[in-house]
Amino acid sequence: MTVDGDHKGYIGRAYPRKEDDRLLRGYGAFIDDLPEPQDTLSLCFVRSYYAHAKIVGIDTSEAEALPGVVAVLTGADFTGMIAPMQADSEKPGYKPTSREAMPVEHVRFVGDAVAVVVAENPYIAEDAAELVEVDLEALPAVVTIEDALAEDAPLLHEEIGDNIPFAASFESEGFQEAFDNAEIVVSDTFRSARLAAVSMEPRGCMASYDRGKEQLTVWSSTQVPHLLRTGLSELLDWPENAIRVVAPDVGGGFGMKAHIYPEEVIASALAKKYAGTVKWIGDRQDDFLTSTHSRDYRYEVAMAVDRNGMIQAVKNRLHVNIGAYACFPYGCSAEAGGGAIYMPGAYRFPHYSFQTSSVLSNTAPVGVYRGVAAPIAHFAAEGLIDRAARKLGMDPVEMRRRNLIQPEDFPFVNVVGIRYDTGSHVECMEKALASIGYEDYRRDQPEGRLSDGKYRGIGVVAITEHTGQGAARYRDRGLHRVPGFDSAFVKIEPRGHVIAYTSHATQGQGHLTAFAQIIAENLGMDPKNVTVIEGDTSLSPYGSGTFASRAAVVGGGAAYRASENVGAKLRRIAGHHMEVAPDDLELVEGAVRVKGVPEMRMTIQEIAAIAYSMESRMLPEGESYGLEATDYYDPPGVSITNAVHAACVTVDAATGRITVERYAVAHDCGRVINPLLVAGQVHGAVAQGLGEALMEGVIYDEEGQILTSQLLDYLLPSAADVPDMKMDHVESPSLDTVGGFKGAGEGGVIGSVPAIVSAVNDALLPLGVFVNKVPMRPDYILNLIESANAAGEEKRKA
Amino acid sequence: MMAPRHKIRTRVNGRIVEREVEPRMLLADFLRHELRLTGTHVGCAHGVCGACTISLDGRTARSCLTFAVQADGAEIETVEALAPDGPLDTIQSAFHEHHALQCGYCTPGFLMSVRQLLREEPDPNEARIRIALAGNLCRCTGYVNIVKAVQTAAKRLREESAEA
Repeated sequence: MTVDGDHKGYIGRAYPRKEDDRLLRGYGAFIDDLPEPQDTLSLCFVRSYYAHAKIVGIDTSEAEALPGVVAVLTGADFTGMIAPMQADSEKPGYKPTSREAMPVEHVRFVGDAVAVVVAENPYIAEDAAELVEVDLEALPAVVTIEDALAEDAPLLHEEIGDNIPFAASFESEGFQEAFDNAEIVVSDTFRSARLAAVSMEPRGCMASYDRGKEQLTVWSSTQVPHLLRTGLSELLDWPENAIRVVAPDVGGGFGMKAHIYPEEVIASALAKKYAGTVKWIGDRQDDFLTSTHSRDYRYEVAMAVDRNGMIQAVKNRLHVNIGAYACFPYGCSAEAGGGAIYMPGAYRFPHYSFQTSSVLSNTAPVGVYRGVAAPIAHFAAEGLIDRAARKLGMDPVEMRRRNLIQPEDFPFVNVVGIRYDTGSHVECMEKALASIGYEDYRRDQPEGRLSDGKYRGIGVVAITEHTGQGAARYRDRGLHRVPGFDSAFVKIEPRGHVIAYTSHATQGQGHLTAFAQIIAENLGMDPKNVTVIEGDTSLSPYGSGTFASRAAVVGGGAAYRASENVGAKLRRIAGHHMEVAPDDLELVEGAVRVKGVPEMRMTIQEIAAIAYSMESRMLPEGESYGLEATDYYDPPGVSITNAVHAACVTVDAATGRITVERYAVAHDCGRVINPLLVAGQVHGAVAQGLGEALMEGVIYDEEGQILTSQLLDYLLPSAADVPDMKMDHVESPSLDTVGGFKGAGEGGVIGSVPAIVSAVNDALLPLGVFVNKVPMRPDYILNLIESANAAGEEKRKA
Repeated sequence: MMAPRHKIRTRVNGRIVEREVEPRMLLADFLRHELRLTGTHVGCAHGVCGACTISLDGRTARSCLTFAVQADGAEIETVEALAPDGPLDTIQSAFHEHHALQCGYCTPGFLMSVRQLLREEPDPNEARIRIALAGNLCRCTGYVNIVKAVQTAAKRLREESAEA
């Protein structure tokens, strides 16, 4: 950690979290932990059992007759009450589609809600849901990308004329010539399973309507309280000043909780209808069926390389299966757009061409999930580098070194126009190689990679992470419902205590600590005296919320600016009374003091008393009462975080089982606010990537039935699957952002998927095979090994 | 559907409680919604994730797979018993120092499992810790700092018991 001369040392310090105490004692307050008002009604949704069907009829009579049931409502009951959830976009190539919160005639995936039970408690609600008779007439279902693109494919949303709601393309000038003139071309089709985010807390919400005040309060396990409030206002056609959204403690989100879901809208509508409190707590099955899925890609990629291993041109043809509906409010271009834009990551691609599209299917909607398209974009690109290096007889690390963006390249603008203001690709590469012990590993690697029945390999990959995107990026992406900015309101109270409200919402990232460190630094006080509150639209100014690794950059920038403004006022008031120019004052240890004359000081309490007119001294003329500032921060573009990941694996030759034995990351997210929190983000994301690489996958059968609807079917990595991780932090402060911060939430998963795959490619070198699919479950790997052995046998015979 | 209620009497975190419950009421729901001990969380309701882990007669148990009526006459401890006030206990402190929790939803289950592990095995090695905790899922931390916290807590608990 660098601590420069006049650094007060709160930014950059491994400050243990302010959040922990209550969570460790069991005093957290997640959505289902909140006290319920008396007579709270419970909801249970009845869901479509077919992937694609016409609703013929729904008989609710038996369910309604059950004691304790208040009502059973179907889609028709919400017509006119809830507007269609239409996620439009201004991006060229985007065709808006619409979703009914509860369909009236047509269901499009297993899990689409067709009825909702309102009952006195959740047990009765579930009993009643079992008694609702739903008569559906099955329609042909579209499940895979190939199904959706077939010539006579059934259409999900007939109004758009095909199953492709978004398509875009790009080709750099001179691409074809560069591609054709390269010495070698490597190519493959890369597939990735559909994933579920699986926050340990499933989704849930509670809505309460005050009939007298005509005010609705919605507590939701959401990452985006302000966007949810605006969305509810729009969908219910109620004024925003009649709605308050609160995100309580949220048990993980990973992007999945950054969407607005039908259950939140329906619960809000029902709270008003019954003039009371209505609660829905999703269980794990609801979560697997209806919470946004992710990934589910097909990347057809070709890489053209010269004889020195220099990448000349990359061609990317990408399809994303986005499920049955475009997510609200982002639409369905984020994955397909991201997969195209992210591929030129840490390497210099002089030429690039992409064609990308989103395709609809009768599966759960796909939304943003940690890393979005980047883990698989890098899996494809790194996979091709492995293939090219093998063809050229070059060490795969050497080929990567040659293509990395070099220190002298900054500021670097890549082939699709993304600016990298600073970075440390080369330094991270050398640090990660040293940390994993690359040279020693190569020296000791067994002959033919095989020892004790296990193939042994090492993979080293370089990645980038697009973080902290501001308004300009969202406008460019056509996502006009995402403001891009965030905000902070920092206030010193009359007795000198500091409280700050930000437009973010935390799901475990440690915002309350990180933002307190920033504010403490700018006000010269201990972070323990700074209280940060998030997630309540009635307390904080407007902002986008927490997703896409934006909190440190955008929320951090807002907290930085607002606290600087408050600090400036402290200095003006103190300067007036001490008859010293404000510029000659510094904020240190809870006081404003004259630089170089530490005994000339006024405490913050003294100044606060003056600012609130609670003592004899007056405010300077023209100065307003109070000690507070609201500020907004909109970063100019996107902050590019970089990292190198290195993994050592074994592949059991008899079972196909992969074990990740060692792991190292060298990571650069600019100026670090708190290294504990950054490491925590990277560790968690690497483990998620390990799950993605080795085991996780939502499975639909050919009729669109989901086969993985519980944690018994969908494997998550446990402590026994994840290795220890070595971590190096490199700091290249951003020049473009306030405070120099870059985001850190997603790099771990972006790096670990390709690193583990690359290590497996290296382990299987003697067989001459490469991985082109994740997860690499034992059956897939065993099949690769056996086919290679059989082919070898054939060759020997011939 | 509404079945006759059964009277149960248990000791929860040292306090005797008597309630009438439906036979199908899960122990997790009983603790959370009847007794308002909401530190115990439900992540899957299938006994996979371990967020609902409590101590039942001195052994860890999944409160999502246990009916409240099965706890009749039993002694239950939940996360709220570890340090109701005053300083955090040794395991909680180690979790705090090592940043071994993020969203905190799974944390109560981990704390209960770690307590059981360290009672049975005061000096587990890293591999043993990882296997012993494989029944508790965490989606935030990647387990790296949880393992470190357990190692630190184990060392301190051994020192404390040596001093005692």
